[in-house]
Amino acid sequence: MDTFTQLTLNGLTEGSTYALIALGYTLVYGVLKLLNFAHGDVFMVGSFIGYGILKVLGGAGDPQVPVWLLLTLMVLGGMVGCAVLGVAIERFAYRPLRDAPRIAPLISALGVSFFLANSFQLMFGAQQYNYGIFFLDGGSLYTEGFNIGNVHIPLIAIITILSAFALMVALWLLVKRTRTGKAMRATSFDREAAAMMGIDIDRVIVFTFIIGSALAGAGGVMFALRVPTAASIGFVIGLKGFTAAVIGGIGSIPGAMAGGLILGFAEAYIAGYWTTRWSDLVIFSVLILFMLFRPSGLLGQAGIKKV
Amino acid sequence: MAAAPLLELRGVSLAFGGLKVVSGLDLHVAEGEVVSVIGPNGAGKTTLFNLITGIYEPDEGDILLNERSIVGLEPHQINRLGVARTFQTLRLFLNMSVRENVMAAAYGGTKAGVLRSMLRTPGMRREEQEIRRQAEEHLSFFGERLKGYRWDQPAYSLSYANRRRLEIARAMATGPKILLLDEPAAGMNPVETHEISELIARLRSEAGYTILVIEHDMHVVEGISDRVVALDHGIKIVEGTFEKVATDPRVVEAYLGTKAAVTK
Amino acid sequence: MSQPEDLQEPSGPAIGQDEWVARHGERRSRRSGWIGDIEERARRAPWWAWLVLFVAAFALLPLVSHDGYVRRVAFETALYMTLALGLNIVVGWGGLLDLGYVAFYAIGAYGYAMLSSPQFGIHLPTVVTVPLMVVVGAIAGFLVGLPSRRLIGDYLAIVTLFFLQITQTVLVNGDQIAGHDLTGGANGIINVDPFHLFGHDIAVQHEGVFAVAYLYIAIAFFAVVYVALHFLNDSRTGRAWRSLREDALAAEAMGMPVNLLKLMAFSFGAATAAFTGTLFAAVQTSVFPLTFSFALVITVYTMVILGGQGSLAGVAVGAIVVNVMLEFLRDPGDARILIYVVGVLALAFAFGRTRKLAVLLAAVVIFGFVAHAVAEAINPDWVAGPAANGFDQALSNWVIIPTELANWVGPVSYIGLVCLALALTLMSPGWRYVVLVPTIYLGTFVWENVLLAQPDATRYIVLGVMLIGLMILRPNGLLGERRVEIV
Repeated sequence: MDTFTQLTLNGLTEGSTYALIALGYTLVYGVLKLLNFAHGDVFMVGSFIGYGILKVLGGAGDPQVPVWLLLTLMVLGGMVGCAVLGVAIERFAYRPLRDAPRIAPLISALGVSFFLANSFQLMFGAQQYNYGIFFLDGGSLYTEGFNIGNVHIPLIAIITILSAFALMVALWLLVKRTRTGKAMRATSFDREAAAMMGIDIDRVIVFTFIIGSALAGAGGVMFALRVPTAASIGFVIGLKGFTAAVIGGIGSIPGAMAGGLILGFAEAYIAGYWTTRWSDLVIFSVLILFMLFRPSGLLGQAGIKKV
Repeated sequence: MAAAPLLELRGVSLAFGGLKVVSGLDLHVAEGEVVSVIGPNGAGKTTLFNLITGIYEPDEGDILLNERSIVGLEPHQINRLGVARTFQTLRLFLNMSVRENVMAAAYGGTKAGVLRSMLRTPGMRREEQEIRRQAEEHLSFFGERLKGYRWDQPAYSLSYANRRRLEIARAMATGPKILLLDEPAAGMNPVETHEISELIARLRSEAGYTILVIEHDMHVVEGISDRVVALDHGIKIVEGTFEKVATDPRVVEAYLGTKAAVTK
Repeated sequence: MSQPEDLQEPSGPAIGQDEWVARHGERRSRRSGWIGDIEERARRAPWWAWLVLFVAAFALLPLVSHDGYVRRVAFETALYMTLALGLNIVVGWGGLLDLGYVAFYAIGAYGYAMLSSPQFGIHLPTVVTVPLMVVVGAIAGFLVGLPSRRLIGDYLAIVTLFFLQITQTVLVNGDQIAGHDLTGGANGIINVDPFHLFGHDIAVQHEGVFAVAYLYIAIAFFAVVYVALHFLNDSRTGRAWRSLREDALAAEAMGMPVNLLKLMAFSFGAATAAFTGTLFAAVQTSVFPLTFSFALVITVYTMVILGGQGSLAGVAVGAIVVNVMLEFLRDPGDARILIYVVGVLALAFAFGRTRKLAVLLAAVVIFGFVAHAVAEAINPDWVAGPAANGFDQALSNWVIIPTELANWVGPVSYIGLVCLALALTLMSPGWRYVVLVPTIYLGTFVWENVLLAQPDATRYIVLGVMLIGLMILRPNGLLGERRVEIV
């Protein structure tokens, strides 16, 4: 029972990060009908920005500002930096291809992904970067925490999960309650009709990229708090984020959240009860099955084709 | 009419979500007939074509070709059984030449496999020549409009009217028994419209096709139809000769509204 | 609006007049000058002209150069050319984005290795293994293509990419499948047999130099595939594939079994890749899982798109250009001079032989010397970096090459260059012309100090940028036809 709860906790922590990436995929796909292949690498950039801020402010062991402020700045920095990056990617690599056949922006996205990953390898090498251990009131964030029954919940897990959920709730409110959110939904249904209704499509798309990339940036920082980052992580993380988005139903925001969590749990249980060697294989196979038999995912809607 | 109709729909219904696009539709086309389908936009006419050609599957009812049900078959299988169509919005193979567009459609009726193609066996070469000859024959049906030198040009270089003609030629190349023409005169000037009417008549008289036409231009409908079927909101409202249908108050109402129907 | 009957039908198309008008489009799309002449000549050449050119070039190469390295590169290029032909079927003719293509290359290579090495103690004859792997590849392609029936564009790409991941995972962990060592795991399979043809083992090294025989075998592989695919393209299957790419729905409505055709495209592409894989394994005498990576997929894709998807000769040319470029980028020494040559050519192409170009080049040179002098004045260490040969020494008087680079200089200058380059696309032509000068200089600085330090990353950065640029500026590549698309 302990192992199970421990694994569940792991799954929840990982899953909330995956949910953040999945949301970025889902948002962009909803609005552009494009799978932003470079999204995983934006996530990676976020983790590096966090690292940069961390180093500038003195490092994890002995920071110049209180730990909570440090972490907040890192996450915010990651979000802002990635938002800018996302806007640039959209503006220079995708917008010129908006009316081109579907294959063109996809290939461009591949190029961007490759460019980002290798640029960061160029600048920072292929090695791993570790954030280090943060301390709060004399205790490490990774060991201090609460105990529920026999399970130890480290602070870091709480921070990760709560922040991720806070961001997701904020996104949910944004999309459901604001005019911009409504514009985003309209654009994802029918871009031409939305344009004719007076919605500025360019702005909506830029906005979508801002939010999606910011979420990825936040996810990147939170990810690196627990696992060392490197220039090459974007590829696999991107695949997993995409998996989560599809399982939950691409185009659906609650779907992305659910998909992320499901993926997190799946990974945790497989790694815990079986072996990490094959966990990737299982996940990829599950994804393929989903795409074959239920391409609209758990919460997505089946599309209607008009001839 | 002793023989069974070539094409028959019995009680066909289709709904998208909560929207009923076609309801309880009965339709039949006898061999050698030219039947027109009219109705305001959204009446379900193109959906009808999509149902017949297998792009959509009906929720209820049956579709029979030569008394054999074709519901559930793949579109290419339905085409092999004798149903060919053109598209309302034109769906040519734009980057292929005019001749190639027509040759491509002969795929279903030919059989050179990949091995024979790669080795270029004499049998395959003979078949290729035959495909080419037949394609040129189909294109020649359109006379001076789709002349020789045009055959090597890419399809995107054709004028609008010629593109419509090419689509018909392509449909002919599949060797069908019945042609479904979706708004063949759309966007054409009076001269071209007149030509289309003549063309449809020739398709029946010279080439022997049975034809089901969706059309908005009443001149065309009047000139070609043996029978007219009027749809509105997915339901057949009237069927009969052109005079009968055109003056029927229900049809007038569907197009022009109740007041027009009453005052007419 | 007069009645149709009133209008006179023209007495008949005016021969010569109508045709002249109709062919107007062809004349307009011709480019002027000698480029247009060459393109026109290339378009009218018979299909086998390119093939003869390739075969002749590769066949004569060993006579021109006895350098084993050159022959090795030529061999690899021939392999890539064949790989590109295979990918062209799936992407160029079928319009299917198969990101897992390299997995079939792996299947061919590993299959050959498993059947011709000490791994299982099996040493099947080459004439059995190679055709066998072609068939296995075709079947694998068919199976992987099965999901493609339900998937479009983006989804298909991802599923095939997942297939590649699965293949890699299986290959890397294959030394422990149910207790058996099937694939050698991360260490791969070594001591793979060379090809055995006409009663002889064909050694990979001949008198210490890469064996010419394999170069000939590789180009023979290429030629066989080229001819087979050309004939296939010129048949009903080829037409059906192209129709499928143009408009799948219309193709289906015209009697072409679209799903089956997609499967066939996958199959043929996979078979070609597996075919090439056997030769690869034999020459490498070993296979490792990490070779068959996503980076390799991107490389082959760049070749296909640069060359012109849909054109057999085109993708072969693309393969040659990209592989030669990658080879140059492998060694900083060779690459240095190359970039300046390419850069000047690119500018010449963009500006034409005009005064603007001369002024621009002069401005860049002057700017460089000034910047160099200023930097030297501030701190001599900034310009005292190492210089290997004569050209480099001359260059080091112009480009700022410090002895040591502080940590932050590399990333900052690189990011600065990228931002400047992107900003250039947003400026008006006047400003662009001016800002181009410092941008070019910064470019050379980054090149000398940052990019050359890490050739691995640089190669892939170049590929990434090429893909993006090609899609935006010239999606039809070098030899592909300009396509009209309705989206």
